[in-house]
Order: sequence, then C-alpha cells, then structure tokens
Amino acid sequence: MPQLRKDPIVSRWVIIATERARRPAAFFDPKGVDTQKEGCPFCHDAQSIELLTHESVRVVKSGTPVFTEAQDVTLRKDGLYQSCHSHGSHEVVIETPEHIANMADLSLEQIRAVFKTYALRMWHHHQDKSIKYVLAYKNYGVASGSRNIGHARSQIMAIPVLPMRVQDKINGAKLYFNFHERSLFYDLVRQELKEKERIVMETENFIAFCPFAARFPFEIWVLPKSKRQYYDYVHGIEGLETELASVMKTLLLKYKIGLNDPAYNFVIQSAPFDMDMPECYSWHIELLPRLTRTAGFERGTGFYINPIPPEMTAAFLREVNV
Amino acid sequence: MAELRRDPIVGRWVVIDSDNQKGPGDFIKETTNLPGHKDTCQFCPGREHFTPPEVDALRPKTSKADSPGWLVRTVPNKFPALTTEGEVEKEACGMFDVMSGVGAHEVVIETADHHKNLADLSPEEMGFVLGQFLSRSKALSEDARVAYVSVFKNFGALAGATVEHAHSQIIALPMVPKLVNEELRGSHQYYEDNQRCVFCDVIEQEYKDRERIVAENNSFLAICPYAPRYAFETWILPKGHQASFTDIQADTLVDLSTHLLDVLKRMRKVLFNPSYNFFIHTAPVKYAKPQCYHWHIEIIPKLTRSIGFEWGTGLHITPTYPHTAAKFLREA
Repeated sequence: MPQLRKDPIVSRWVIIATERARRPAAFFDPKGVDTQKEGCPFCHDAQSIELLTHESVRVVKSGTPVFTEAQDVTLRKDGLYQSCHSHGSHEVVIETPEHIANMADLSLEQIRAVFKTYALRMWHHHQDKSIKYVLAYKNYGVASGSRNIGHARSQIMAIPVLPMRVQDKINGAKLYFNFHERSLFYDLVRQELKEKERIVMETENFIAFCPFAARFPFEIWVLPKSKRQYYDYVHGIEGLETELASVMKTLLLKYKIGLNDPAYNFVIQSAPFDMDMPECYSWHIELLPRLTRTAGFERGTGFYINPIPPEMTAAFLREVNV
Repeated sequence: MAELRRDPIVGRWVVIDSDNQKGPGDFIKETTNLPGHKDTCQFCPGREHFTPPEVDALRPKTSKADSPGWLVRTVPNKFPALTTEGEVEKEACGMFDVMSGVGAHEVVIETADHHKNLADLSPEEMGFVLGQFLSRSKALSEDARVAYVSVFKNFGALAGATVEHAHSQIIALPMVPKLVNEELRGSHQYYEDNQRCVFCDVIEQEYKDRERIVAENNSFLAICPYAPRYAFETWILPKGHQASFTDIQADTLVDLSTHLLDVLKRMRKVLFNPSYNFFIHTAPVKYAKPQCYHWHIEIIPKLTRSIGFEWGTGLHITPTYPHTAAKFLREA
C-alpha cells in the first residue's frame, strides 16, 4: 500500500509510492550540458560588473537581473493588491576560471572557496537593513532551468521579502519550538541518526540524508549536527568549511556517478536576518536532482507523488563509491 | 525595473521580470509525440477491457458497461497513486507522521475520438466531461475516508501527460493538500478581518481594473491573476459566491462548458497549442465555512522550463505581466 508521509517542518503531505515504486536505474537520464568552450561568456568575461573576487571565485552582477538596487522601496497599495520595486541584488558566482561544467568536478579547495564566497555575500547583504533574505542556489543542467553553458556557476539573490517556502519553514519551526521547547532540526538530526536508514553520509559535524517525506526521488538535505541558524556562521569555525565542501563534493559525485550525471538544483536555506526566536531554526542545504517531470497534480495542489521511497534512494546513494 | 507583487489570498510574493518581458512567441515550443497510437490506444472504443472496469460513463441505455458506444468514460487509474481498499490508519514514527495511502485515482476519458483534444470538443461534449467531474466528485465525497477531491488535467508531454488520448484525472485524498490549505487559511483570515470573501473582492477589483480580464459570460469570469506564478496563468472564477464545485447547478454547468472551451481555445491560439495543466480548487469535503472560500479553476500553460529554482526557494519569477497576457488572450 502506498504511504502518505508528512513533512515535519512545513506539514506538507507526500505520497510515497511503494507498489509501483521504480527501481533506481529507471531514473537515469543524461541531461546534456554543452561543453563547448568557445564563446563561453564565463571564460572570457570583460563586461560584467565585478562585485567580489575571493581566491579564484568571481561574483559579478547578473546580466539579466530580476533584483536591482532601487531608491524607492515603499509598498504600493492598489485596492486589494500590493506591490513594490524589485529591490535587491542578483549576482552570478563564477565558481572557477576553468571551463568545467559540474561543481562535482572542481577540486575540494575550489568548492570550499565557493561555499565561503556564498557566506561572504550573505554577510555583505546582512549589513543592509532593506534586505530580508539572501538566496544562494545552483541550477545545473538544462532540466534544472539553467542556460546551456558548460561553465560552473551559481546565483545569489538578495531580496526584500521572504520567499513563501522559507516563511513556511519558519512557521513550522516556531510552532514546534513553542510546543516542545526544542529545535525541530535538532530532533530531526537525532532521529535520522538513530534510524540510520535514510542517511546518505555522516561526518563529524554534518549529516546528509534523504528526507522522510521527500518530494522528489533522490532528494537530499544536508544539516549541521549542532544547531546553527545562519549559514554564514559555518565560516570562521576551524575546519568546518573544508568539511562542508567535502560533504558537498561527495554528494554531487554520488549524483554524477550513480545517476548518470543528472541535472540538479541545490539551495542554501538559512534563517532570515531579522528572525525572532532564531534558536528554533537551523540552516541547511536542499539538493534536488531533476529526474522526473512533475505534472499538474503537484503544481496544482502542492501535493507530491514520489515514485520511490527515500530509504531506497539513501541505500542506493550510500553504495555509490566516489 | 522588476516588480514584486503579493498574492492577496495566500500572501505569496512573486517577481514580475519586467525588464525581460516575454510575449507569446518567446517561449519554448516543444511538441513531443506521446505514446498511444490509435491502433493500440487503450482509451479508444473497442479496447475497454484494457482498462479497469469503468466507475461511471455516459452511454446509451442499450449499451453495456465496458463496451463501445460511450461518449465519456471514467475508469480507475491502472497505476494508482492511492488505493481504494483499506482504512485510513494514522501513526507516528518518532517525530514523523504516516498515513496509509488510501484514496482513489481515476481517469476521465474525455472523448471516444482519439484525434480530438479537450479544446476540440463541442460545448455539449465539454458538458459531458464536466458532468463526469461533478458526478465523480460527488460520489467520492460520500466516502467517509475522503477529505478532498482534486480534479486536474495534464495536456502535452511537457505538462506531464503520458498518454495521447484526451483525458483528465481525479484524485480523492484523505487530507487537504497544501496549496488548498494555504488558500483556505488566507480566505479565513481575510473573512475574519473584512467579513467578506476574498475571491469575491478579487472579482470586484478585476472588474474595476479591467486590464487583467480574459473573457466572461453570464456566470464565469476568466482573469490573469495580479500576482501570477507562471506566464499566462489564468483563473476561471464563478461570478456568484460558491464554495464547492459540487454545488454547481445544471444551468451554470452549461455556462462553464462554453467558458472553459472559450479560454482553452484562446490559449491554444495565442500560445501555439501549448502543454498545460488545469486544476479545480474547491472546498474540502466537510467544510464548515462556506462563506469564506470560493472554488475556481487554475489553468497554467507550461511555457518555461525553470522549475528547480521555484521548488527550491518558493520564489516564482514570472516573465510576463498579467495585463499583457490578458490582452493577448482577450484579443485572440
């Protein structure tokens, strides 16, 4: 019998198919990234406005920004409706000067520098009171929504509102904290470590697991074992940066080798800057390989049908040697 | 400069990317041939035995169930996401909640003609399809285990269809799905604050602003919503307040048939026969506050690929202003 599972943070139910569960191999579908070096805008880029260079990682203004600096940030009201200028910053993180497509293929040192760069940009925007949230995320492969250019990059958006999913998570975390007087994320880490079957890998300070109510096949969350609300706190703690980089490199290589180089997204979910009760939250990273086409039911209801149990995907990913 | 807009019902902010606006010709045009050639199609008349036995159909009194002659036919999904047998059992595994996957998953075969799409049907035939939506929604709502009935359609491979023959789907669930819950929560809050239905107020403001109206008839209004998540997203709302799709009367169903056809045809013309999804958002089965909620249909053409970002962040970036989309659709 299929199982309905509830995400403990945002209370979203998902259907985990068991009878018609697909085997891991049924998902393999190469994504087709263009590896043409010629004409790559990130190899020979003289026009972009540079915001930061950290080691050999460059941050530039997006050429087609959806958030730009606005003088006027007031909320406009028109009857029922509200709008405001799309104030903020939209940045591209060019992860390497070399023409390498997949972050998984960068050196550990280079990946460490990329994750450090995210933190530096978050910290930078943290100073600006008009910014409510900073998103750091990555699209790899055409199916993830990325343009077909084989040069590793990610994006940063500093925005003046809270995205709906972040708001949902905070609401869930606060509710849990008020009821239990413990952080939901702390309990989550404890339960995953106890049950073990959804763990993909564990290091001294991090766990990576396929979440109990995964929306997508092979979805992975990376959580710090000790609760830290803001992502940028990782940095400055001896050794943690390198440890996180090595967890991410291992996971991305497991995707690449085990799932035949799929398109994927990842997003860092940190706490908002001005959060009250920050002790109820913990930053984490969501990794979503793009292996299926979600259809109308998911888009229309927010109710996901996951064709493979996370225990099975975790077991599969654990076995992939990198 | 791009603009941020807030949906008045659920409070979701979306970005309208006004600097990189896209018109109907700027989107991906992908036609993928779906499996299901007429000679082997399991939804075609004469192959009724390939599907599970029908649960409803419109057919002459002289014809037998699961034989040809039907005009529209509803069958259980051969590969259901939920099963009809068993009780709803709830349990906790530590901090996690689990429920048995009890419910129903049905397919409405919209026409016997393999070569017709929903938008090709006559108003009368569209009425037959909507009639099945209605009778199945009512029947499934009778089941004490069912909390919500979701009617939806995937058209085209990009929108998730896997069979060519025109069909839509019905899923009966033991709980209310998240997006509907968000709408309910928003509507209840709005009612508490204003003593009015938020959707009724949306309709009133759309009439005042006019620029986002796509089409209307006696009973229904189609608009491109103020804070759309997707380019050319279109909603169909009953003009009069009504919480549940199952409350619809026979004469209004006729109006819905012509109106839905009208909107689908406009979309097909303007967007070059796009893949699309639609879903009926209606009140839960047992619903105590019918004054607060207002059922509607959301139609979302599948025009862009970038979905990973939205799933990761919950932030939607829409490349077309709703008044631009509405103008194209209105003038089609």
